[in-house]
Amino acid sequence: MTSALLQLVGIKKTFGAVTALNGVSFDLRPGEVHALLGGNGAGKSTLIKVITGAHPSDAGTMAVGGHPIARLTPAMARSLGIACIYQQPALFPDLTVTENIGLRLESTSPFRRVRHRERRRLAASLLRQVGAGFSGETGVHDLSMPQQQLVEIACAIGAGAKILIMDEPTASLTQPEQELLFGVVDHLRRNGSGIIYISHRLEEIFRIADRVTVLRDGESVVTRDLTRTGSAEGTAIGQGFDEADLIHWMVGRHLERTSVAIPAAGAPDRLTVHGLGCEISGVHDITFAVRAGEIVGLTGLVGAGRTELARILFGLTPADTGEIRLDGIPVTISSPEEAIALGIGYLPEDRRRHGIILDLSVAQNISMSVHTRLFPGGWLRPDAEQTLAEHYIHRLGIKTAGTSAEVATLSGGNQQKVAMARWLAANPRVLILDEPTQGVDVGAKSEIHRHIRSLVDQGLAVLLISSELPEILALSHRIGVMRSGTLTALFEGHPSAAQLMRAALGNLEPGDPPC
Amino acid sequence: MPSSSAPFIGKLSRFRFRHEVGLMLLLAIELIVFGFFGRRFLTADNGINIIRHSVEIGMLALVMLPVILTGGIDLSVGSLLGLCAVLFGKLWRDVGVDWPMAAVGSIVVGLIGGAMNAFLITRLRLPPLIVTLSTYSLFRGLAEAITQGTDAFTGFPESFLFIGTGAWGGLPAQAGLLLACTVGIAMLIHQTTWGRAIRAIGFSAEGAEYAGLPVQRRVASAYCLAGAIAGLAALTYTARFGTAKADAGTGYELAAITAVVLGGASIFGGRGSVAGTVLGVAVLGVLGNGLTRLPATLSTASELTGIVTGLLLLASLALPRLAAMADPSGTVRTEKQERP
Amino acid sequence: MLKWNAREFTVATVLAILWLGLAVFAPDFFSPQPLLSRLTSSAPKLLVACGIALVILTRNIDISVGSLYAVASVAAGHASHVAPTPVVIVAVAIVTGLGGGVINGFLVATLRLPSIVVTLATMVTWRESLRLGQQGVFINLPDNTQWFSLSMVGGQWAIVLAALGVLTVLAWAQKNLAAGRHLHAVGSDPEAARLAGISPGRATFAAFGLCGTLTGLAAALNIAQSPQIDPNTGRLLELEAVAAAVVAGFAVSGGRGRLLTLLPATLLLVSISPALTYLGAKPYWDKAVHGAIILTAVMADGLRRPKRQCRSQAT
Repeated sequence: MTSALLQLVGIKKTFGAVTALNGVSFDLRPGEVHALLGGNGAGKSTLIKVITGAHPSDAGTMAVGGHPIARLTPAMARSLGIACIYQQPALFPDLTVTENIGLRLESTSPFRRVRHRERRRLAASLLRQVGAGFSGETGVHDLSMPQQQLVEIACAIGAGAKILIMDEPTASLTQPEQELLFGVVDHLRRNGSGIIYISHRLEEIFRIADRVTVLRDGESVVTRDLTRTGSAEGTAIGQGFDEADLIHWMVGRHLERTSVAIPAAGAPDRLTVHGLGCEISGVHDITFAVRAGEIVGLTGLVGAGRTELARILFGLTPADTGEIRLDGIPVTISSPEEAIALGIGYLPEDRRRHGIILDLSVAQNISMSVHTRLFPGGWLRPDAEQTLAEHYIHRLGIKTAGTSAEVATLSGGNQQKVAMARWLAANPRVLILDEPTQGVDVGAKSEIHRHIRSLVDQGLAVLLISSELPEILALSHRIGVMRSGTLTALFEGHPSAAQLMRAALGNLEPGDPPC
Repeated sequence: MPSSSAPFIGKLSRFRFRHEVGLMLLLAIELIVFGFFGRRFLTADNGINIIRHSVEIGMLALVMLPVILTGGIDLSVGSLLGLCAVLFGKLWRDVGVDWPMAAVGSIVVGLIGGAMNAFLITRLRLPPLIVTLSTYSLFRGLAEAITQGTDAFTGFPESFLFIGTGAWGGLPAQAGLLLACTVGIAMLIHQTTWGRAIRAIGFSAEGAEYAGLPVQRRVASAYCLAGAIAGLAALTYTARFGTAKADAGTGYELAAITAVVLGGASIFGGRGSVAGTVLGVAVLGVLGNGLTRLPATLSTASELTGIVTGLLLLASLALPRLAAMADPSGTVRTEKQERP
Repeated sequence: MLKWNAREFTVATVLAILWLGLAVFAPDFFSPQPLLSRLTSSAPKLLVACGIALVILTRNIDISVGSLYAVASVAAGHASHVAPTPVVIVAVAIVTGLGGGVINGFLVATLRLPSIVVTLATMVTWRESLRLGQQGVFINLPDNTQWFSLSMVGGQWAIVLAALGVLTVLAWAQKNLAAGRHLHAVGSDPEAARLAGISPGRATFAAFGLCGTLTGLAAALNIAQSPQIDPNTGRLLELEAVAAAVVAGFAVSGGRGRLLTLLPATLLLVSISPALTYLGAKPYWDKAVHGAIILTAVMADGLRRPKRQCRSQAT
């Protein structure tokens, strides 16, 4: 066995109260594709950031090419040949592909003549290596996301990266583009590079990986080899494991559905969606209903279109096909203002950017979506606002210095409670919760869960979007699974975590309900 | 990072406290210096004089405040004042409308000018800076074109000139208008949902949109208000000088922005108060007047006022930033870098 | 190897139509001597437009150039009385311009203050300082400095060629020097630039410094054209320059635009007032027309831009 390109032992990383990595060990050999697998929030992104030097680790050791590294900075990581292909490429949209490659690879000294011919030749050869079907003279703003990824890969190859991290590179690729990418990966592997390959598509793992490591809850659960000998053309087989085992390792053993009261049969449909689609957000043909007093869980992988669906229902990106009915009445929703007036609330995923306004006070945030009701005629009534805020601070147990404290001073969990309080105050008929417990600590999480349950007891219809299977299983009456912009399965009964994961990964088995 | 932002917020609120107190100190220093060295500075007549001269800039600053609170800017208000003044004169003299009707016309023209800015900014999503920079040129250019560069409207009736030169119980007549504007804008900004929305938009336009606030409509209304009040300021300006010329209000946009920024408003939006803005206007107004009362600066007062205004504007921006940079624990808000 | 992108083509076409119209209705416009004079007086505007375009490339703006232009002119005028040679005049103007640019650059790039407010403040500070120091008094220049001690026609050619030379060098550098591409990179996406090892602060600082330098040089080319210096010179110059840059396709969101396009754009703008005059309109429409031109150009950009893309940057 050759010495490892990269060796991580016992890496730990915490953010405030949240432990993101809790002793991860990982190694990468030259000429191998090492797949990294894990559910959302398992710690993959944090691990990547540690490897690229974006986050310093709190504990553990790291060695690159056998040399221990004390404190890795992004610049050091680059010079050590570590490159990461992010899902959102960091390219210059106003410049051509050739220019982007040139700016990345050439010296940053300003008084240097740009050798356009060499640059074009280099770019063309790199683009050929990654099998890009576009010319170097194309402007980057004209490229699709996967094409931009190819440019990123070309930059990494050009920089002579020995350790290449690919974060869900195929998430938005078409089949032929995927094949090309696999070719690129194979090429890199044969040249002795090591590739850390992150993907949710299990068939891909079996297709190109040499080893696989599964992360769960910030810990490395297992690392296993795959072998190509004796397997079908183009695929590998796991040594002593199969897809089912991988899914099992990802979700863990302890996850089974806790019982939830099924709402009285015959409760009326609150929100009905039929054939809903929106071209821009890539969501299409969505049909489901949420009854009064019911929580419908919605899960799927990142990028499956769950948030996009929520944005359509809340009028942020209005639908261009299909029908939405509220209590049986067809409605059109073309702005959040209209959605709120119709009784739809949306707790967004990105709390700091969308869910709250950090610089405003707790009371001002809570009253924000009820201005017309709370302040008739548009005149602020500080006493009424105060009373409202105090009510919800008490009801949700928000820990704050007072109603006039700026929300920025609160902890993440309490900020999220403020965001929720805003929607409770709006008293909606339908509430869409998008990752309601992301980035909040365990205590706040269970409180938020309790509040969600008590909401539906009052007859609210809740659409709960979450990547955390335990959360979905613990709260939902029914569970929908989204994949590639549409709803692919709707479980009425008690699915297992493995069933959900299979549906999210697109590996439905007989016995799983199609949508 | 809630843990690190807590002390920052605390520091910020202390800073804001110091800011308005600092302005009052500045004002006090001005009054003492000019009162001590200036000739006939601390007289009732001069007080009236200062107020008279500050009315237009005060009005423009008061409506610049909500625009800046949304994170925008309006460079066109001074030019719009000129255009409104000229059109007012045209309506009264050449069309033959009674002055009160012509006055309404002036405000309507201002409203239309503001609506034009609003349309370009909120509908076509063009940057406020470039939109108002071009209307800054366009409005002034129209005023010059209408007056053929040299024409001036004079001979307005006494009843109209009273607005600019008359007095009401010892106070200048236009002070009533400024007071009404101050109270009105203060109530709008600090006591209505409109002001709350404007502030929220300035802090985070996306956050405001997700809360269901009508972001584009509110932003548009701020520019329209700025336009309408520019039309009103055109009236007091014309009444004060007795003539309406195309160069009316030249440079007033700068004075208004300076007063607002000096008054503690953040050019990135969200933060700022009417009290601070009024203090900013007072500091500038007293400065401009006081310099004409010092024997040493009598002949160069207007230039000195301009220089000190520019330097004050820079200092009020740069000092907090320098303080934040010098303090390693302070978090500088750089994520909202301006995009012109 | 000039590649004609859409914007260059549009601007050149409009310019051709305008000139064709002038050739038919006002053939006087093209008589050699007035034409050369007109080009000479446009040369400084071209250089200032170059400076502003470089600043716009980095997502900033500089509206203090008009005042700085006047300050540089006056400084050079005073220097001419100490050492009456063209070299000194040009050097003093350039150094003054550079100084003004460096001050703006420090405030915007180092202190990270918004460029619009900073340059608004420096604009008024320079202008009023000049009024204070000069009290509107014109400065007479020594005899041998006009037209750089050349004949009038020779001086005019020198000025036009100097401006074209500087434009050519800058356009070459924009395309072929790493620094030129860095300005594009920083304006296109500062964060990506940082990741690629390019310092946005340094690039912005350099753009402001260059803008000041070009303004100083433009002032030198301007004062060589007349026997005295008007301390009120350069009013509205910033607007004309911004108009030229916007018409030439420099996006105010940064990262886009080619300096060479400034040539047809500036020619177009400076042909409009004479065209209006020749075609019977009065000169006091100038300012309104300028405003309308900037508006039209940005509106064209705004309408062409896909709606969705700008969603996250709204307001």
